[in-house]
Amino acid sequence: MSIDLSRREFIQLGAATAGALAVGQLLPLMVVQAAQEAGMLNTSGDGTIPSMCEMCVWRCGLLAKVRDGRVVKLDGNPDHPHSRGHLCVRGQSGLFNTYDPDRVLHPLIRVGRRGEGRFRRVSWDEALDYTAERMLEIKQTYGPEAMVFSSTHNLSQVQFENLLYAYGSPNYGTQRSLCFNAMIVANLMTYGIEEPERIYDDQLQYIILTGRNLMEAVSTSETGDLSAAIARGAHVVYLDPRFTKTAAKATEWLPIKPGTDLAFHLALLNVIIGEDLYDHAFVTSYTVGFEQLAQEVAAYTPEWAAAITEIDADRIRRIAREFAAAAPHALAHNGWRTSNFINSFQTQRAITILNALIGNWNVTLRAGGGEASGALGTIPQPAYPRSSAQRLDHVPSRFPVVPLKLGVFQELRDSILSGEPYQAHGWFIARQNPVMSLPDRARTLQAFEKMDFIVTVDILVNDTAWFSDVILPEASYLERYDPLNVVGDRAYLRQPVIEPQGEARSALWIYKQLGERLGLGDYFQYTDEQDYINQQLAPLGVSLEDIRSQGYVDLPPSEAGGFEWNTPSGRIELFSDTLARVGFSGVPVWEPPPEPPQGEFYLLTGKVAQSTQFGTQNNQMLHKYADEPRLWLNEGVAADRGLVDGDWVEVSSEVGVGHIRLLVTPAIRPDCVYLTPGFGHLSRGLTTAFGLGASDSALHVTYTDPVSGSQALSQTFVTVRKV
Amino acid sequence: MTHQPTNPRYGFLIDASYCIDCRSCMVACSVENNVPMDSTRIWIKETGITGTYPDLKRFTAPFHCMHCKDPSCVSACTVSALTRNDDGIVSYNQDICIGCRYCVYACPFGVPNYQWDEPLPLVIKCDMCFARLGEGQQPACAATCPTGAIQFGRYEDMLAEAHRKINERPDKYVQHIYGEEENGGTATLYISPVPFEELGFPIAGTTSPAYSNRLVTEGTPMVAGAMLVGLTGVYLTIKHLREEAERDRVEAAKEKAAQSAGEEQ
Amino acid sequence: MTMLRKIRHELNTMPKFVYITAALTVFGLSIALYRMFVGLGATTNLSKEFPWGIWISFDLATVALSGGAFTLAALVYVFQFEDLHPATRPTVLAGLLGYSSVMVILLFDLGRWDRFYNVFLHPNVSSALLEVSWCITAYTLILVYELSPVLLQNSRLKWLLPIIKKYTVPIVIAGVTLSTMHQSSLGTMFIIMSPRLHPLWSSMLLPVFFLISSFASGISLVVAGSSVSHWLFGRSLKIKTMAKLSWFIPWILAFYLVIKFGELVIAGEWDLLFSSGNYSLLFWAEIIFGVLIPIGMFAFRQVRFSRTASLIGALFIMGGTVLNRFDVTWFSIASVNGEVYTPHWMEIAILVGVAAGVVTVYSLIARYFPVYEETEPHQLPVEVRPFENSHAAGD
Repeated sequence: MSIDLSRREFIQLGAATAGALAVGQLLPLMVVQAAQEAGMLNTSGDGTIPSMCEMCVWRCGLLAKVRDGRVVKLDGNPDHPHSRGHLCVRGQSGLFNTYDPDRVLHPLIRVGRRGEGRFRRVSWDEALDYTAERMLEIKQTYGPEAMVFSSTHNLSQVQFENLLYAYGSPNYGTQRSLCFNAMIVANLMTYGIEEPERIYDDQLQYIILTGRNLMEAVSTSETGDLSAAIARGAHVVYLDPRFTKTAAKATEWLPIKPGTDLAFHLALLNVIIGEDLYDHAFVTSYTVGFEQLAQEVAAYTPEWAAAITEIDADRIRRIAREFAAAAPHALAHNGWRTSNFINSFQTQRAITILNALIGNWNVTLRAGGGEASGALGTIPQPAYPRSSAQRLDHVPSRFPVVPLKLGVFQELRDSILSGEPYQAHGWFIARQNPVMSLPDRARTLQAFEKMDFIVTVDILVNDTAWFSDVILPEASYLERYDPLNVVGDRAYLRQPVIEPQGEARSALWIYKQLGERLGLGDYFQYTDEQDYINQQLAPLGVSLEDIRSQGYVDLPPSEAGGFEWNTPSGRIELFSDTLARVGFSGVPVWEPPPEPPQGEFYLLTGKVAQSTQFGTQNNQMLHKYADEPRLWLNEGVAADRGLVDGDWVEVSSEVGVGHIRLLVTPAIRPDCVYLTPGFGHLSRGLTTAFGLGASDSALHVTYTDPVSGSQALSQTFVTVRKV
Repeated sequence: MTHQPTNPRYGFLIDASYCIDCRSCMVACSVENNVPMDSTRIWIKETGITGTYPDLKRFTAPFHCMHCKDPSCVSACTVSALTRNDDGIVSYNQDICIGCRYCVYACPFGVPNYQWDEPLPLVIKCDMCFARLGEGQQPACAATCPTGAIQFGRYEDMLAEAHRKINERPDKYVQHIYGEEENGGTATLYISPVPFEELGFPIAGTTSPAYSNRLVTEGTPMVAGAMLVGLTGVYLTIKHLREEAERDRVEAAKEKAAQSAGEEQ
Repeated sequence: MTMLRKIRHELNTMPKFVYITAALTVFGLSIALYRMFVGLGATTNLSKEFPWGIWISFDLATVALSGGAFTLAALVYVFQFEDLHPATRPTVLAGLLGYSSVMVILLFDLGRWDRFYNVFLHPNVSSALLEVSWCITAYTLILVYELSPVLLQNSRLKWLLPIIKKYTVPIVIAGVTLSTMHQSSLGTMFIIMSPRLHPLWSSMLLPVFFLISSFASGISLVVAGSSVSHWLFGRSLKIKTMAKLSWFIPWILAFYLVIKFGELVIAGEWDLLFSSGNYSLLFWAEIIFGVLIPIGMFAFRQVRFSRTASLIGALFIMGGTVLNRFDVTWFSIASVNGEVYTPHWMEIAILVGVAAGVVTVYSLIARYFPVYEETEPHQLPVEVRPFENSHAAGD
């Protein structure tokens, strides 16, 4: 039976699920049964089941209201620290993801050309057998390194990694280098941890946000915390070339020139050190490298920074003094990407050091728990085979300080294209959309053409699935188990709240099934998802049934953070020897960012509350309430060019072109444009999203920071002209 | 006859300074209440971006039914599809509505939305998620708002909190609680860092026109009765007078005929 | 065969304009059918800011003009001005068709026309619109009653006529009461939206204004109708009778003027008469054309005794009333966001269709029933008496 997704008719929400339920009902209603036995659902199938959201990485705890076997409403779980009873706009729309008429509910194998959208529906056995066969073929012909594995961070990541390491490939791509490599590496260099936890208490007085548009890049609890801090009178300084919704709430909005937030922070360091405003005791007791730092930042005066950033020198000086005066109840927020330029690594280093100088450790920052917990059990497995092949993302060969699990994804893609040092032949993608997330989409599609075999695990036929050879349908987060998620002193459970529709299955099941067919069954020593979780819970002496209705299990309380850091020196490293030894500057140093030629603009990107990257544009409820995707242009500039709001324009970079309607607004610097991210989908299998907006990744030029491997997404320059 | 509107049991306190226009409330409401895709029960009012670059400002506030103490829509609705219950919740019975849209016209706040593109349309309006209240939950919008811009609780508590907040921070808030007196007082109360007109809130008087409306409509049966009696009286009187006049005329003619007959003899 | 030949004969002798109006009716009704299928959004320019449009304005204007039926009925049956009797039949027919057209348009206007009966099953006694619907429905039935002699006179049911005539007075009294109720309630309907009406029109006295102007426009309809039927059908009221009727007009209009301006003075809105820009223009247009000029005209005997002059005066009043209803329901409504309502062509098409339907039905009934039986025939050339060979001459 051939399905032509390119001409699939739009089905009213509910119609597809009616058919899907019919198939599902051939199987025993395991979810309902388990929920009823736990007392969460009554005999009519009505009740409330706790689980966790997956609409973004914040993973708020939720309570799913179930009626007659359908999830009808999601509410925040008051017992989860990320939700505290609330869910953001995406969390609330989650059931529209689950019931999206475009859900892929059966395994598919391509029949037409890649990108034609013609697939044939097959059984799980056939799809998995075929996938394993092709993967083994690649392994035997070219070696396991010829198979690339990529996935965006999710709760089943540990088993994804298990699969790729067991298979023997070193080529692991994640979204991290497209997002926060700079931040993670900077924190690792300074504090020896990936990301400190921020503490918003009643005393927090001063916050510097560099980017991190928390009122639009909503992380439910942190957004609430920031809002409460502002309401209490905390002073918030917000750096962004755009007047975003965070700018509207901040005490001060600094319309900083793109790429120059590094200069701003270096000037802050200059003032705090130069005017002797730092916490001497803290610096002496807990840091190393102060002398080298002081020497480096001596030249970075506010006057110097003012010329670069286009922010008043007096203002910079005042902010530095106020920040230091508020110490230790002050916080310089790392954010995800700051200005998203190559020099953002240095910016992140400067921010972490700024915090250290005022001694806010264990006041506004502390070591977080991380997502793994030593208290949970792990699945036994044999040792992984050694891989002698070089990684295609040149970690660590070209990127000596980038952790292996971060990788440099765009390098991986470029190596696939170049075929150096060897040609990759296969790509296994799970819960990720590299066609849309990697910069320079045209190159990514070219890389796809180099592949002999592409298999994707996803819940929709997104753009990457559209170009794949095999699509394995994953159950959505409301339909599956995932490994336990540690937050604070609890491990939270994700459990299905409805029966999986169609033939969709969890990633845990898919990886195990595939693993067994690849001869790697020993690495997947769990019988099913519930057994997996029971093995995790075993050291705590409880079972899944014990924790189902509560939705979490308490862990032994972790020790209160002290003043030790996981760095080579055991202290906060203002000067990083690790960096210096491999030829990078040990202290933050000024790197001038590129500027657009006359007549061109910085192409900015940034978050929208109603979307998460590239995965939510098809959600009908979010589509209903989100603004139309537009290109923002400063109103003065528009007037000069004779452009008016609503005009169709062509925006082009050196690698791509897009067509979109203009939003003429005062809310953006005259030298910048902003394109609503995440649109311009290529997959006709996304019937709501297809045809909307333009693709930012088609425009982004690939720029990689040599230190952290971070992709500099805002360093692309574009022209805009009316069409 | 004209009833005294009671204080509502529950109320909202919506603080525009907290709203970040994330629209969680809109999605939560639509999901909870199966709101059709072509309409919404709650939306965002905004000032737009004001000021000149780079001194810009923007404020927003979610807006839904005010749940008036003396609702104009309830008074106007031809078929009692809109009613206010003892808890002060103004709700809509979609099975009775005939689509006359008098409520859309009468509401001074522009609350009722209408499904213009449906062949068999309904009015779309917030009903305080009374089903959720019955289960001990807050309305969907208030429950989910990530910044707590929408608070919900007993009306007296919400009003007291509103007063406390604006009194505590006269530098931050406009010294007015929108809904305290508008249209005779409403269960949904607002405080704001900017004048309400700038957010697009309609200026409403302090009394509900429902009161005046009722004065007239409830006096109607009396007027009708009076007219029936009066017209009947007029008819009978005139008829009587005419009959009398006719009798007199006939009498006079007879006399005259008799006279002239008598004269001839 | 004779049936067919009869029909063909009728169709041949039918005046041509009836074909045009019939065609317009079919056209309008098919647009209306389309509106039922696709909804109001695609076929009207109604919106949240303007949920009521030209249809409601038309309804109110038509009801005001159809006030001739109850005004005349009151004058003839309650106040017993018997020489006005000949005008009753055409006026009642016009009134009935006017009210029917209002009910038809209302059916198209209702979003849930499929549940119109809920008006009777779930009344809200506080609602002015409820009152209007009930009164209009009841009054339409009364108009049918009042017209029934015309329809039944030459039929098999003519034995009902004495019974009908016996109860005419109480029915008329009920009808006048009902009419007073709904003519004023149409004004009451706008009390609840007083915040949205321009203060020049917004008033607690709207019911009174509407009622008084319905007397005036009702009488004007009779006067105008008399002149028109004189020219079209060669039948009319006696000029003296008409003059007697139009004698009332200046008094009614003067009273209207006093309470209208008095209310503005008491409400302190006097200054708005000149400072409201276009609203002032509209208001003064109503007053000048609909009130002041007619007062001036009908104060003169010569005007009252002239068919042409009376017609002109009557048309001024009717025009002023229509403008007043359009002002209250459309032009004086302030919009919060600056939106302006102009009717969709389909809204107008449906109105035209319904109006054409009224004219068509009126013409057909006047042709086949003794509507003008009691009016005075005049010596006119045969060619200007198009209904001469109809059955209406009482044969």
